Amino acid sequence: MSHVLLQEASFSAETSGGSVRIILQPTTLELSEQRIAVIGANGSGKSTLLRLLNGLLLPSTGSVSVDGLDTRADGGAVRRQVGFVFTDPLSQLVMPTPLEDLELSLRRRVKSTTARRQEAARLLQEYGLEPLGGNSIYELSGGERQLLALATVLAVEPTLLVLDEPSTLLDLRNTRLLRSRLAGLNQQLILSTHDLELALDCSRALVMDAGQVVFDGAAADAVAHYRGMYS
Amino acid sequence: MRGHAYLVGAYCPGRSVVHRAPLWLKGLLLLAVAVACFAFPQVYLTSAVLAAVVVLHFAARLPAGRLWQPVRVMLIFLVLIAGYQYLQSGPGTAWQVVAAIMATVLASNIVTASTPIATLLDSLERAVEPLRRFGADPERFSLTVSLMLRSIPFVIGAFDDVRDAARARGLERNVRARTLPVLIGTVAYARATGEALAARGLGDPLD
Ligand SMILES: Nc1ncnc2c1ncn2[C@@H]1O[C@H](COP(=O)(O)OP(=O)(O)O)[C@@H](O)[C@H]1O
Ligand SMILES: [Mg+2]
Repeated sequence: MSHVLLQEASFSAETSGGSVRIILQPTTLELSEQRIAVIGANGSGKSTLLRLLNGLLLPSTGSVSVDGLDTRADGGAVRRQVGFVFTDPLSQLVMPTPLEDLELSLRRRVKSTTARRQEAARLLQEYGLEPLGGNSIYELSGGERQLLALATVLAVEPTLLVLDEPSTLLDLRNTRLLRSRLAGLNQQLILSTHDLELALDCSRALVMDAGQVVFDGAAADAVAHYRGMYS
Repeated sequence: MRGHAYLVGAYCPGRSVVHRAPLWLKGLLLLAVAVACFAFPQVYLTSAVLAAVVVLHFAARLPAGRLWQPVRVMLIFLVLIAGYQYLQSGPGTAWQVVAAIMATVLASNIVTASTPIATLLDSLERAVEPLRRFGADPERFSLTVSLMLRSIPFVIGAFDDVRDAARARGLERNVRARTLPVLIGTVAYARATGEALAARGLGDPLD
């Protein structure tokens, strides 16, 4: 289990007007549960918080570390340990076809070409995507793409998986499919979501509002708190 | 602006002589084409090389459309270069320069179309391996090259998008309205690709 530590970590960005806007207020958190959800309105700072966890963003003040590795000093090592799944799977896929994209993920872990191809084919099969291995990624449906994106991130065997609204672009059937996929994973998961059912699958949930964590506790209590904010 | 179904630069499976030729030979021929066209800028030589490249394209049984696609991407630049050379040095030089660029681009297109990406990456990695002790990182090198190849369809798509957007606003003759968004889009694309790799822990040097 990974141990994520935010110490007074904040994030601010310069606006086009030249003033500085604080997007995440200084936040101190310890994240080590197996399943953690982050919920909150659009623009509340969920993506910013998650992006800090694998060094896609570096904190403006304070620090973020994973198992003692600082995202600023040891970014490469942190990224090898923390996989990140984007909302839009097309942001994730870089090769023309599913098979090639999986092979790309496997390059570091599997050195022999034939073994790599076999492993990629096995992963495609595991995700029910084997008939599509040679198709263009643009020919896949939204659900197939999100599953593939998940598979390509998991193929590098991260110990912690961060998912930013993984079901927002999916229909009900594919959301269910993704939920059961995620439930079956051994990895530690931290995910943001508007799908409160998905949040309730977690043991702990954070509620964010205006760049701050305003509630932190059991998922059911967090969801109740979130609902209360808008009633 | 991400999301183009073009697969230029992608592998076209086949069993032609070109497909079966070893990659080192294809690489050597590509180098020969570039050297012939740019080190010996003569109209007849360059024209002959371009003709030979087109013959090879069909010998590899690649679709005729793939001859035109890369040319179309560069069309604006080719026209600008040709115009400039025409005014500076006359029609012969204008043709030679344009033909040289086309021959080299089409030749590299043949190499990528007749070689699976995985083979290309492995060979590149092996070729750079001896340089490791001088501090080179073969894995990063091959990754960079493959991503450059991957960006070709994106840039083509961006040109199409921008042309449509410019048309919709009646700006199709405005060179700035047609090229600036492509540049901005390409930078955004490079950024997104960097993030996509970081999301998988790829692309960082191994220490
Ligand atoms: N780099 C940035 N520069 C300026 N504003 C940003 C930047 N990143 C995020 N924001 C703004 O910060 C707020 C929080 O963004 P985000 O973390 O994406 O929220 P969420 O994921 O909860 O919707 C939004 O209003 C967004 O527009
Ligand atoms: Mg977000």
